Amino acid sequence: MARALALNPRRGMALCALTGLLLAVLVQGRLEASRPAGAVHPLLYLPSGKYLRAVSLGFDGLVADMIYLWSIQYYGNFDIKDRYSYLEHIYGQVITELDPHYLDPYLVGALIMSAEARQPEMALRLLDKGVNNNPDQWIVAFEAGFLCYDELHDYKRAAYYFRRASEIPGAHPLVRRLYAEMYNRAGDKRTSLKEWSEIYDSSDDPYVRNVAWNHVHDLKVDVDLHDLKEAVSRFSDKAGRPPARLGELVTAGIAGALPLDPEERDYLYDARTGDVRYRGSLVLGR
Amino acid sequence: MLARINAIALNTFREAIRHRILYLLLIFAVAMISFAQILSLVTVGSEEKIIKDFGLATIDIFGVLTAVFIGIGLVSREIERRTVYTLLAKPLHRFEFILGKFAGLALTLVVNTSVMTAWFFLVLLLKGMFDANLAAAVLLLYFQFLLITAIAVLFSCLSTPILASVMTLALYVIGHLLWSLDLLAVRLTATWGKAFCRVLYLVLPNLGTFDIKGEVVHGVPIDAARIAWAAAYLVLYGSAILGTACALFERKELQ
Repeated sequence: MARALALNPRRGMALCALTGLLLAVLVQGRLEASRPAGAVHPLLYLPSGKYLRAVSLGFDGLVADMIYLWSIQYYGNFDIKDRYSYLEHIYGQVITELDPHYLDPYLVGALIMSAEARQPEMALRLLDKGVNNNPDQWIVAFEAGFLCYDELHDYKRAAYYFRRASEIPGAHPLVRRLYAEMYNRAGDKRTSLKEWSEIYDSSDDPYVRNVAWNHVHDLKVDVDLHDLKEAVSRFSDKAGRPPARLGELVTAGIAGALPLDPEERDYLYDARTGDVRYRGSLVLGR
Repeated sequence: MLARINAIALNTFREAIRHRILYLLLIFAVAMISFAQILSLVTVGSEEKIIKDFGLATIDIFGVLTAVFIGIGLVSREIERRTVYTLLAKPLHRFEFILGKFAGLALTLVVNTSVMTAWFFLVLLLKGMFDANLAAAVLLLYFQFLLITAIAVLFSCLSTPILASVMTLALYVIGHLLWSLDLLAVRLTATWGKAFCRVLYLVLPNLGTFDIKGEVVHGVPIDAARIAWAAAYLVLYGSAILGTACALFERKELQ
């Protein structure tokens, strides 16, 4: 190399530069190899987004993008065993503080928290923050509702989020249907029937009307049978015998009027056992 | 007067566009905007926000660097090369010289910002992500460049290029951190301390006025009044800075 430098200084210097670069690459590779697997990434020591925002000099959106992109790669690396230790800090305190209106970190962060880290309550805290920071975005409340429905099976809580999402302009029609269904799952069939009936009455889409009708049909049967059986029971308590026919419930003032089934027929009544039945079959069969 | 300012401005523009640093910054800016597309491939969710954030930040950073690194040498280089003596020997007022220098760099920044914006918009058009509101953000960024240029010209009259660049960049940082003075004032108990913070908050250049990048990227509608107020702030604050620069240059002893 010294000879090359002496013979042709320009070429010699280029050779030196190339050799230096090559050696630097080798040293870097050696450093990477010597780093223990699963080492905690230095970015985990990031301060809160509030402070990062202060030093980002107006580039808070860009800093949020960069940390979000890093987090995607980081949480996708299954070699890092303790990668979920700072999950809430990274998404809840850093990225969403830097850019509170950036929706992807709420949705993806919640997905990682619930599906990967098995921390659905943590995911709900993040989504709650997203709902509060973005009251005009139905998707965040919808995701929270779906998490309550699918993961936690907490249908009342799911109904709360689906209601919030359905009230936001532009919400997908499915949200309203899920909202109506959550009451059914929670055991409040009467409210569910009311909601499904409103969907049936207000929709012009034949598919939606058909879906809504199926729910209305089954829920009406459930609600009617429940009401009739309760009335028969009350009659039995009062008279010491079951009514001879369902019409007696009206005569005795226990029921205002007898409901007809979805096909406009009377419900079947067995005077010996006091049992009330539907003469058809349920559409959804649940 | 306008003809003389025009002549100085055109010459400053010609000189600036021959500057290697301008092309270097432009090449970097175009490369960075293009790089955003590659970066967006590794995201989960919307790549649109990342491309827009990256594009606007690139225009911001490289516009500021152009304003600072060309602006700081505008006056001092003329003094160093002694060309200022030839110019001032002609029927030309010193303030016309300063205003001409400022106008020349403002013109250079128009070209610089236009090239970066054109490339950014082309990338967005090809991706089907173009949003006309982004033009409002770029316009306000250009207002910011003009204010920084005025500050750079002021420091260029006062000091050496290195010191002027340090002071201009320091004011850029301060200009983006002014909101913290308001927070500090709330925490202070002494009335004079609160008043001091308030005065500093109002007197120092508030560059946050020109930052609507976040709103535009998230599709928040931009009120025309916001742009008008920012323009008014630029005109008034910029006039004050340039007025000070002219006054200082008038008193400067050129030997």
